[in-house]
Amino acid sequence: MPTITKVWIEEDCITCDACEDILPEVFSITDDSSFIKAEVREDGKFDRNTGFSMIKPEFRAEYSDIIEEAAEACPVEIIKFEYEAVEADGAPATPVEEIVEATPVAIETSADDGVLAGVLAGDRSLAVFFGSQTGNAAGLAEKTVKMAANFGLDASVIDMDGYDQSRLSSHKRVLIITSTWGEGEMPDNAESLWIATCASNPSLSGIHYSICAIGDTSYDEYCKAGHDWDGKFSDLGATCIQAIQECDVDFDEPWAQWVDQVLPRIACVDADGVFQEELVEAMIAYGAGDEEVPADDGDFSPGQIEQPEISLTLKIFRYDPIKAQSGYDTVACVLPGHATIQDALIAIAREIDGSLTFNQGQIGGLSPLTGLKANGRIVSADTMRLCDLVAADGTLTLEPLPGYEVVKDLMVSYDRYDTDRANSKPWMVADPRQGERLASGAPMGVMASAKATALHAMADVGGLQMINSMSDTYMVDDNYSGPGLNLQRWVRSQDPRSGSGHQRSMFDLLQKNGGVWDEADISSIYRHGIDGAQAADALYAARARLLAEFKFTGKPGRMVKGYSRSVKLTGNVNETSLYRSVLGPLGLGSNIMNGVSLRMMLGFTRNGGPMMRGFQGMLAPPAGIGKIPDMINFKVDNHHEIVAIFNKLDRRF
Amino acid sequence: MVKYSYYPGNVARQASQEVEDTIQPLAKSLGIELIEMIGYSSDGGDIIKQGNPELQLALNARNFAIAQRNGHNIITPCASAQGIMFEALTTLQNDPIALAKTNRVLEDTTGMTLDPSTLETNHLLHILVDEIGLDKVEAAVVNQLDLDIACYYGPHMQREGACGNDDVWNPNYMEKLITALGGRPVDFPSKTMSVGNPSLLTLGESVMKMTAKVLADSKKAGAQVLVSACTLSHYNLDSYQGKAGRIAKLDTALPVVNLTEIIAFALGHHIDRFAQLRTRALIIGS
Repeated sequence: MPTITKVWIEEDCITCDACEDILPEVFSITDDSSFIKAEVREDGKFDRNTGFSMIKPEFRAEYSDIIEEAAEACPVEIIKFEYEAVEADGAPATPVEEIVEATPVAIETSADDGVLAGVLAGDRSLAVFFGSQTGNAAGLAEKTVKMAANFGLDASVIDMDGYDQSRLSSHKRVLIITSTWGEGEMPDNAESLWIATCASNPSLSGIHYSICAIGDTSYDEYCKAGHDWDGKFSDLGATCIQAIQECDVDFDEPWAQWVDQVLPRIACVDADGVFQEELVEAMIAYGAGDEEVPADDGDFSPGQIEQPEISLTLKIFRYDPIKAQSGYDTVACVLPGHATIQDALIAIAREIDGSLTFNQGQIGGLSPLTGLKANGRIVSADTMRLCDLVAADGTLTLEPLPGYEVVKDLMVSYDRYDTDRANSKPWMVADPRQGERLASGAPMGVMASAKATALHAMADVGGLQMINSMSDTYMVDDNYSGPGLNLQRWVRSQDPRSGSGHQRSMFDLLQKNGGVWDEADISSIYRHGIDGAQAADALYAARARLLAEFKFTGKPGRMVKGYSRSVKLTGNVNETSLYRSVLGPLGLGSNIMNGVSLRMMLGFTRNGGPMMRGFQGMLAPPAGIGKIPDMINFKVDNHHEIVAIFNKLDRRF
Repeated sequence: MVKYSYYPGNVARQASQEVEDTIQPLAKSLGIELIEMIGYSSDGGDIIKQGNPELQLALNARNFAIAQRNGHNIITPCASAQGIMFEALTTLQNDPIALAKTNRVLEDTTGMTLDPSTLETNHLLHILVDEIGLDKVEAAVVNQLDLDIACYYGPHMQREGACGNDDVWNPNYMEKLITALGGRPVDFPSKTMSVGNPSLLTLGESVMKMTAKVLADSKKAGAQVLVSACTLSHYNLDSYQGKAGRIAKLDTALPVVNLTEIIAFALGHHIDRFAQLRTRALIIGS
């Protein structure tokens, strides 16, 4: 009957006392976790025994069954133990040097991979950690990952900085490339992982690993960081698959030797974590490829699609339309950096909460209907990668697209956009029909290719619905058609194939309520990347045309004209006169009635400035009421230059 | 002393004299020499651009040429001014046709030409964090702010390249600065949203709702004071906060000060104004 030689407690103990109740001689509950008592351990320590100290021989037979019972009773299944190895005749195996014969694998014959089919199947992940102070180790890790693909490995570069130590044991294949800093110290980015690993001493018995240590022989502690990791992995039960490689300051050659040897070996660790040593030769040949592999063709270098995993916190807006309740769900997760937001949402809906609702693109590529707000940015969920939005251990807040009615969670209704668009008919209406000619003889209904290109470029944005949401005004003004739809109207108004009547109707729509003047601040759109800048430029172009078309009428016209004239007159804006010219007497009266003028007048007194400045606004005609220190601007030096610039570029002011 | 060509923006020497009152002493305390841009003009406020983009570009180019003649990059206390200047400078740096056309106008009208390749425009905030250093700012503090302060950035300078090394979408430079000044930063969701200042006189309700949202969000987050990096937006947030609150039906009563004011107060300038602000914060802002 085999006996238990080691027992230890993994993380996440809930301190329920069950184990201590069953076997108080071995288990003792502390505030944080169950511990293995010192009296029964060979190392005499009192902790979770993650260093895997043996149970003293005199207690093994007595307690084995009860330890098993305690492990079965553990509600979170974190009591782990190990039996003494037994020979076939029932005698304990010699615990000296255990030579494990690789389990023969069932190798399926495959036209592509031959004898390697078995080892190439299933999980092929390889974690390449780097500890780097100056970037050398990081660079080697990148190169290692690229070469690993030749051996059918799905390799990722992992920066030790910020890496969650508790995930270390989840790997099967690990390579570490690390430099040594100072007098034998870990590089800065490796320090926290090293400390965490030493503190918790997790079992790494399922890992095959190898170390490439970079150092400088002029220092006493040559390659110490690499040796420290080597020793630690070995102590924690990991299997070294290739001896540590030391590299001096000229590290390229020794690294190349190491990587040539270690990759085919670690590639022979199969999905079950078993090293298939007899396949190494075949793997070397497999990695070398054959003559049919396309040679490096020089300039072309495919982009790196795969990105390292990111630990992040997703904060997802939730809205229950039945209860009319809203709030945020927070989910901590680890996802590939190259995953899209949509990938993440699908995973959460599948694994955690099937009721999560969001617009989902049905085809590859960008679908504007998947738009949402991610950390303040308006993005398309089906194309935006997580690594482009959030750093490791960051928070990604996902909210519905602003300005639209929320149907449920992140799903919005685009009815508002659809209705506005249908009402404004911003599609091409040719007048007269194609084939007829202008008085000049030029054909109607067609346009020059340069004009067509310009119009297409202007309208080439990801999605007009998303453009609308880039405006901070769109969400507060239900009557505003939004910058997206106004962009479309503007493009159509500039289309020479459009009939003059249709062009006129587009101008009218752009000018009246809901049009471009309802946008309160174009800069809020401008900052949303290329699409935002394109829409903002279109709004500016439309406004300039409308001012000319409608001869500076209305408040916006008076504003632009008054502002420009003020600058031409003195070099600076005189807000006093601007208020008067834009708002008129009624507007100024309104400011008095609703308290704005009072606040303006007291603007300098609130922080202790001289009250007279405020009173000037009340007392010095002809200026209007305002928080204005000078009623009449003095001209700037060389004011004639300003006048000359105005006269040169625009004599309307 | 580090030297910068000083562009006050459109209102620091007009409606918002308190900005001018405070940036001068704070700059001296921190070893920044503000070099006058003799003859500078308005940057156009993105208002002139609506009527004629080339005209606004030429006015900015003239200001840039003046700064270049001074031999120093530009600093401004206004986020809108920084956004407008950055955009104009980027256009002149990246569009050789626009540059050639603008330089022709400049040469004809002023005798100057501009080489935009090495010029930079900066907001005071980014100079303090990226160049001066928060440790130096912290060492110069005379009066710890000891207030819960929300930081408003606005949208204008929150774009790649215009906001130093700060995060475009979730900036935190001002929060770091407030911490260095002995205040307690309060985070709130709408700190980069627009308050609609360019349309303050032309649009009524929507601008007031946008203004009210920023004020209400910051107050709801626990702020006693709102600090604005934009001297134009400050106008909405301060003078119009009562009207905004009534229209949006939100609690918007909150002391609002310019960034230059709060820095100057912490560095020991205008202690009487600081005392009044603390009183207002205690009464209104909590």
